[in-house]
Amino acid sequence: MTTRPRVLALIPAYNEAVNLPAVIGDLRRRRPDLEILVVDDGSTDGTVALLRRLQVRWLRWPERRGVGSAIRAGLRYADNLGFEAVVRLDADGQHDIQDIARLLLPLHMDAADVVLGSRFISMDAGDEGRPGPVQRTLGAVLSVLTQRVVTDPTSGFWAMSPRAVTLLAEHHPSGYPEPELHLFLSRNALRLVEVQVRSQARLSGRSSLTPVRLIAAGARVLLALLIVPLRAVVSQSHD
Amino acid sequence: MTDRVQVVAFAGSALLLLLVLELVRRRRLSEEYSALWIVSASVLIGISLRRDLIDSSAQWMGVYYPPALLLLVLVGIVCVALLSISVILSRQRRQIDRLTEESAILAAELRELRWEVRERSDGEPGQRHTDESGP
Repeated sequence: MTTRPRVLALIPAYNEAVNLPAVIGDLRRRRPDLEILVVDDGSTDGTVALLRRLQVRWLRWPERRGVGSAIRAGLRYADNLGFEAVVRLDADGQHDIQDIARLLLPLHMDAADVVLGSRFISMDAGDEGRPGPVQRTLGAVLSVLTQRVVTDPTSGFWAMSPRAVTLLAEHHPSGYPEPELHLFLSRNALRLVEVQVRSQARLSGRSSLTPVRLIAAGARVLLALLIVPLRAVVSQSHD
Repeated sequence: MTDRVQVVAFAGSALLLLLVLELVRRRRLSEEYSALWIVSASVLIGISLRRDLIDSSAQWMGVYYPPALLLLVLVGIVCVALLSISVILSRQRRQIDRLTEESAILAAELRELRWEVRERSDGEPGQRHTDESGP
């Protein structure tokens, strides 16, 4: 049997058929060593047909269930197949493939269980400029609650070690998961390291966050801020 | 010492109990979820029979119109029932999530196995049918 590729690129996607080919093309060209898994969260724009053509690994279900569920399923898949690390990136092309190496470095050095690509560590503005007031407030609150500096609370550019993958394959929060994920990681004593990444504008189309979704997400984050630090620590099997 | 409200309350509670039992009998309500309703109906029957219990506790709580206490108990039961339904709903949501994810993963693993088999048989022409039978 051939040796399995070590790292899985996990791309949750909802109606990103326009951007996916470019993102996957870029990924294949610049990181041919990565396996690619797209999780199609019930897209209605012909993403399925596209996935069949692109010849990547993919998961899908018929109805939208939220990016958190998509990631959880992807992580369980990675856990089943024994990947050594998972890089999660967005399907809209806003993450620079070049930065994946920086994300993986702390994992390889065993300096972190989870690495977060932050757009805002160094404040000399990239394309996206500075964090907005909401992000800054959320970052400040999360920093206090988790007792480590969170500069980019809504970033979707992560790398995870096998330990984190196994744990999050069961417990990755649903819905709009990034802030809740910070709380979960802190609660369960997983080491988090932030690295600076370049931010790029999404290739085309708009983010799927509508005002109503944004309010619902905000309410959910508020609840998570109250509840998650009070939850029992998840039992982990140490080997 | 009986008055109408007591009769109506008893009849209503007894009806509720019968309805629940009938639903369980027809398997429209599963046993595990019927417990709450059976207990509730029994409590209601109990307090609609024991008028004095209501009267004394109404007096103790300062409720001027004792049958209002019956209503209060009823509201309490409804609240608990709704909450327990929400809990059940959340659990089922989690189970459905899990099943959906699991079936998507299985479908993907099956698809990839098929690719592998096809690739292998394409790569070694003439051995197309020996794949399953092994070496």
